[in-house]
Amino acid sequence: MPALEIVQLPIEGMTCASCVNRIERFVNRVDGVSEATVNLATERARIAFDPSQTSLAVLKGAVRDAGYEVVEQAEEGHEAEDLDRSRALEMDDLRRKWVVSLVIGLAMMALMYLPLGLERPLVAPVLLIAATVVQAWAGATFYRAGWRAARHGSANMNTLVAVGTSVAFGYSAFVTLWPSLAADLGLPAQLYYETAVIIVALVLLGRWLEARAKRQTGAAVRALMELQPPAAHVVRNGVEFDIPIEQVRVGDVLRVRPGDRVPVDGTITEGRSAIDESMLTGESLPVDKAPGDEVIGATINSSGSFLFTARRVGTDTALAQIVRLVTDAQGSKAPVQRLADRIAEVFVPIVLGVAALTFLGWLVFGPSPAFALTTAISVLIIACPCALGLATPTAIMVGTGKAAEHGVLIGGGEALEAARAITAIVLDKTGTLTRGRPEVTHLYPAAGVTETELLRLAAAAETGSEHPLARAVLAHAHARAIALPAATDFQAAAGAGVIATVDGRRVAVGTALHAGVGQELADEIAEGGATPLVVSAEGALIGAISVADTIRPESNGVVEQLRALGLEVWMLTGDRRRTAEALAIRAGIPADHVLAEVHPDGKAAAIRTLRESGATVAMVGDGINDAPALAEAALGIAIGTGSDVALAASDITLIGGDLRGIVTAIGLSRRTVGVIRQGLAWAFGYNVLLIPVAMGLLYLPFGILLNPVIAAAAMAMSSVSVVSNALRLRAFRPPADAAEILHPGLGARVRDVGYLVAIGLLAVVIGGAAVVLANPAHTDATSSPSVQPMEEMQ
Amino acid sequence: MTDSATALDPVCGMTVDTAEASAKGLSADHQGTAYYFCGRGCFLDFTENPERYLAADYTPSM
Repeated sequence: MPALEIVQLPIEGMTCASCVNRIERFVNRVDGVSEATVNLATERARIAFDPSQTSLAVLKGAVRDAGYEVVEQAEEGHEAEDLDRSRALEMDDLRRKWVVSLVIGLAMMALMYLPLGLERPLVAPVLLIAATVVQAWAGATFYRAGWRAARHGSANMNTLVAVGTSVAFGYSAFVTLWPSLAADLGLPAQLYYETAVIIVALVLLGRWLEARAKRQTGAAVRALMELQPPAAHVVRNGVEFDIPIEQVRVGDVLRVRPGDRVPVDGTITEGRSAIDESMLTGESLPVDKAPGDEVIGATINSSGSFLFTARRVGTDTALAQIVRLVTDAQGSKAPVQRLADRIAEVFVPIVLGVAALTFLGWLVFGPSPAFALTTAISVLIIACPCALGLATPTAIMVGTGKAAEHGVLIGGGEALEAARAITAIVLDKTGTLTRGRPEVTHLYPAAGVTETELLRLAAAAETGSEHPLARAVLAHAHARAIALPAATDFQAAAGAGVIATVDGRRVAVGTALHAGVGQELADEIAEGGATPLVVSAEGALIGAISVADTIRPESNGVVEQLRALGLEVWMLTGDRRRTAEALAIRAGIPADHVLAEVHPDGKAAAIRTLRESGATVAMVGDGINDAPALAEAALGIAIGTGSDVALAASDITLIGGDLRGIVTAIGLSRRTVGVIRQGLAWAFGYNVLLIPVAMGLLYLPFGILLNPVIAAAAMAMSSVSVVSNALRLRAFRPPADAAEILHPGLGARVRDVGYLVAIGLLAVVIGGAAVVLANPAHTDATSSPSVQPMEEMQ
Repeated sequence: MTDSATALDPVCGMTVDTAEASAKGLSADHQGTAYYFCGRGCFLDFTENPERYLAADYTPSM
């Protein structure tokens, strides 16, 4: 029998049961299809077919012949690639548009302002054609979005860009196409093609940067998605063979060999093994699994071989869920960007109104209709919020990029804002403040026994064991470069310890009961918060080894720096209060900031209590049991690669698990949000200051007028200042210690203030020079003798 | 209120808004009578073989 392939095709346009029948009829008619069923409710066709006789393309063709559309979307399990592809396409499109627009815009400026000796009647038509292409192709986005907003009776940035560029373009086109008519009407023969084109280019550049920033943050998550193996070993009727992962169905029995990745989620039916789930849970130790235990797709099988029944496949697996959550998250907007949008909702109609007022005012009271029109155009152009569009994406791009360099994945604007606002931070104990894996802390050799001898015997006996405590002992012996003798007749007693023959003696390692001696020593070690391993040989005490979860070396410094950042630092643990407090104090957290004896399911409630006391809380954790707390907190920070849910619930992920990333994340977030606000303030400030000038309010008293070309130059200047300010974030480096946070160096403070002052001064100088000098110069350069220059008309 | 005349889809028996169906091109003229359909499937089924659906012994299947 040929191997059948099964596909699920999403279908669009079905309305009734006869649609279903029709599609089934058409598809079943195709040679090689063994069964086709269509579900009206889920809008899907499930088709079983022989790939050697027909293909997916033929099947889709059959659906189309029936009169319906197959929705082109990701095949199950291929979401990662597809997501990537569509985003890459979108970005390619954006990049093409802004690069072409900018190049055309700059070329136009060169043509218009450089003394190339070209005749205006020659240049203008070329400019018209180029500008039309940009306006219709690259500018289409703004028209579409602006139109959508207009239909709902609102206006946004897109409206302003669309109106501003249209006016600049339309006016230029008019004077180019009907120069004599324009002259009769008294319209100056000024061209603003490059203004329209460059505005389009800059705003699209901003969007492209934004898309790129999102993509970079997603890179680590994409790596996670690639963990799913491409094929699985399925066992059917006693025969084992490989099938593509997409064809694994719920209920299939799958074989996992040593070193394999688990293909999908399921339950072990036969065999046992230790599985490395660190990519999903952050737990560094392999987890022992026996029949009845759950295994998760994408985790790595270490030693044993086992069979398991698939329980969740395709888009239902834990891995696929993460992918979906991350995809959703990336579609969200930075709150500060929403603020910009809200301002725009008010700002845009006001600008349109002001432009209209300017036009009418000068029409009635001004020197000429042309004067009224040019001032109105100036208002629209100067108000064009390129800088607003650039402020947020550039800062987020530089900020998140810089964070990624330091191993910190920031999930976008939302997370940046949250990280800036927090007032308290809760650190989970196990796996966060501590390494989350036991280590040998002390050796207690019995009288007459050396430390080396104790460790040598214990490690040799433990060689065959996979237990975390055994590993700790072995690692310690390895670190001390102790040569281990061979052990034979190894036996493990669950929950008690191991026994093996070493150097001809029966060596027991484990609880005091298991070793047969050393109860007092064991009690003493347990009292100090560690786990005792008593070692005996032939029933005689050799000594004891204390093993405990050790504090991360950087914990202390990080806690100090967090406090320097003005945060209240708390520790959260399920440990008994005394043990917890002892550890907290070693990490530099005061005893009254320890939330001890909290059950895993009580962690979220503990965070809620803190929030209700008025704090804006960040939670740092790693495992699945931390996920609800991470979600409950205003800012969730996941350590390591994090478990699936922990990752989904967190806003920031620290790759590699270095706690110093927390300080980097918070410090960088504050800087980035600061830069965004500066950028927005700068952009709005520019507009608010220059709009009255553009309106011609300074014309009456001082004769100062901002012609549209200068308005465009001022607008470009504001974009440059906003972008260059964002680029300053590249110089960010994490503070070395708490002192640096509390007392930033003089240099840093001078740089910060100095930059803002310098760019402000530069803007004033350029703006002033432009207003005073450039007005007649520009008109000369761009007007041909055949058309009336502007001055003559005023 | 707009005129919301309805008709029965002769293929599947669903009630169809005639204006809506016409707008989507889901109507067919057969021997001087206009028929309206719920979707492309019914429309195409009908136009391929109208007699079958207009026969007295045909029962619309939902």
